[in-house]
Amino acid sequence: MKKKKLLALLLALTCTLSLAACDSKEAPASSDKAVVSSTDSKGSEPVTVGTDAVPSYTELNLDDYKDTKASIKFIHHKTDRAADGTMDKMVAEFNKEFPGITVTMEAITDYAEDSLLRLNAGDWGDVMFIPAVDKSELQNYFMPLDTFDKLSEVLNFVDSGKFDGLCYGIPYMANAQGVLYNKAVFKAAGIDKLPTTPTEFLADLKVIKEKTDAIPLYTNYAAGWTMGAWDAYIGSVSNGDDTFMNQKFVHTKNPFDDPGDDTGAYNLYRILYEASKDGLIEDDYTTTDWEGSKGMLNRGEIATMVLGSWAYAQMQEADSHPEDVGYMPFPITVNGTQYALAGGDYNYAINVKSSDENKLASLIFVKWMTERSNWCYNEGGYTVVKGGKNPDMYSAFDGCEVLSDQPALDGEETLLNDMNNESELSFNAGGNSKVQRIIEAGVTGSETLDDIFDDWTKAWNDAQTELGIEVKY
Amino acid sequence: MQTKVKAKKKKRTFKEWINSRDGQKVLVITAFMAIPLLLLFVFTYLPFGKMVSFSFYDMKYVGAKKFVGLKNYIKVFTRDDCFKALRLSLYYMLGSVVQLGIALYFATILSFKTRGGAVFKGLMFFPYLINGIAIGFIFKFFYTRGFVFDTVLSWCGFNLENLPYWLKDQRINNFSLVGTSVWRYFGQNMVLFIGAIMSVDSELYEAAMLDGAGKFQQFRYIILPSIKTIILLNVILSISGSLSAFEPPYVITSGANGTGTYFVVMHEIAHTQQKVGLASAMAIVLLVIIFIATIIQRLLFKYVFTDGEPPVDSKAKRLADKASKF
Repeated sequence: MKKKKLLALLLALTCTLSLAACDSKEAPASSDKAVVSSTDSKGSEPVTVGTDAVPSYTELNLDDYKDTKASIKFIHHKTDRAADGTMDKMVAEFNKEFPGITVTMEAITDYAEDSLLRLNAGDWGDVMFIPAVDKSELQNYFMPLDTFDKLSEVLNFVDSGKFDGLCYGIPYMANAQGVLYNKAVFKAAGIDKLPTTPTEFLADLKVIKEKTDAIPLYTNYAAGWTMGAWDAYIGSVSNGDDTFMNQKFVHTKNPFDDPGDDTGAYNLYRILYEASKDGLIEDDYTTTDWEGSKGMLNRGEIATMVLGSWAYAQMQEADSHPEDVGYMPFPITVNGTQYALAGGDYNYAINVKSSDENKLASLIFVKWMTERSNWCYNEGGYTVVKGGKNPDMYSAFDGCEVLSDQPALDGEETLLNDMNNESELSFNAGGNSKVQRIIEAGVTGSETLDDIFDDWTKAWNDAQTELGIEVKY
Repeated sequence: MQTKVKAKKKKRTFKEWINSRDGQKVLVITAFMAIPLLLLFVFTYLPFGKMVSFSFYDMKYVGAKKFVGLKNYIKVFTRDDCFKALRLSLYYMLGSVVQLGIALYFATILSFKTRGGAVFKGLMFFPYLINGIAIGFIFKFFYTRGFVFDTVLSWCGFNLENLPYWLKDQRINNFSLVGTSVWRYFGQNMVLFIGAIMSVDSELYEAAMLDGAGKFQQFRYIILPSIKTIILLNVILSISGSLSAFEPPYVITSGANGTGTYFVVMHEIAHTQQKVGLASAMAIVLLVIIFIATIIQRLLFKYVFTDGEPPVDSKAKRLADKASKF
């Protein structure tokens, strides 16, 4: 009896001690990582990617690996596609070609935040979509897939996962940035030519308000992240310069000044401000419902919504009028040309700590998903594979020049992220509250657009000083 | 270790000692204490210590950190959004006063014999059992223009045209949010109060009734003094709760439109802007504020309900005197 008691006690003690040990173990591991990264970044030329066990993306010939056996885990954010079975169907297709590879999937609802925590904890699986990680950190978590030079020959938009000449990620689809609209509403309002400037767009919204019952511009204010879509247009869409977003922006002194010709970030946000001021947005913006808005656009209760092309397919599926859903380039014309921005969505990446077997299987999976799954096309995405087929929805983009943002200059990859965090404006990185502020100001009249931009410019300039970033433009 | 040292002192072999009554006592106490203390340390004090150290660094979740000393704390006090957000806590404090009032009122009524008392108790306690996120979604639709709340009000004869936008109008949207937290928590406060009131000796009511004390006097001079500890506890909990209000604004309005409380701002800074150091400093500043608020409350309550209770006592004495005269 007594021995048993003692044994139980010891057991309990070791259990609790091992709990404590977990924590102490983590600390040295993370400091190890720091050491590795610092030596890595000092190391000079990146060598070629690919070993005997795991070839690089471009070297990998899918048909040579039909009998690979492994079990891999893929975590992703497409909860809607997991729920409607699309993900399972794709994996079933994949298993027809690669029966030996088992793919376990986990869809995470709050992906942007949760995936970061999972990434830090380390135990997340083999394939994931890269969350908001500084580019210099990519190598600590992910396996390089190929060199940028080689990969960019076969795929579009691979620059977002690029660091030091290597690519760590491949977008699962690409989005062209424009405006969703309801064709029937435009027709009912008598608008037969799509607007091409902010002033025209605002005029059209007014006409829609007068002649139809539809909400001219639905902001989706309450969901928050839906407002972040506006940020996507401050780059080449509003100024025609594909080096602005990733290269010049951080060095620009007054990025929000009015250039005076209906272009630039100023006039982009002016659309939102004036529409809010003139009552061209939904009545009660604080209680907007994202899921409900999809059906409303489909049925013609909403005329326009500013969202990336990824939303197009969802709007079509939402109700019974898929043919009315249209997509147009953003109405800003720079020197006579309308620019459309296309860029990669979330990037597939492979865990650097996985075993070679799993790395190989993961690479096969990623390559298959990119080139053979048709996922990108089915989602209405702009093709990731060079020369791939584009969905019909991009027909309105025919006259436009489609650009994709140039990657940041070498050594400056982290600057935009740093500036975003320091200034707390977070362009294209979850800075929804700043866009919401424009609507609040427009509706309540508490601030003028210039007040807001003065604030932003100040935050931007303070961050430049704080981080010691040279102001060049 | 400890046990061994003690064993030596008693000059018994360890085996003898551990088998003795003393040894068994120490063993059991250590065993029972060690696990909870370890858990407390590992999951509360250790992370807290880490947070304190984070607050002195300029750091993100991923990547190198840089020691910046007190800079984060200085920022907390100089940034205008941090303390402006704290002002919103006033709404929630006001709400908690209302909440405690309602709770006390119903507790008093329901602790006497009331028809259907148990049903009402259950109904009022029920919201507390619902998950905070679910409550957020319920009220999001509740307050939507032309939805539940507006419909109910229009049944009562209000014209939709004259009703405000509950979440859009910045003058009232914080009250709307506070309303949800009052709805959620007053039932729980009520149950705590009822529990305390139940422990009051019922003979006191009879005696008071004989002395001609009305219901309000009974409440004022018997119930209130008897349950002051639980009132103090509830006040402290709701004040610190209002300082750290998070769920209603985060879920219903995501902190937009002038409803971002201190916690929501902290969340945004920590997760969107990834200024982990600054957010940790904010958390510690809030902790200090809560400490101060709690101390002030305790002192205040000492004045209001002193142990001697001069006003209450004299009245009771008079009652007692009267009683003895007869």
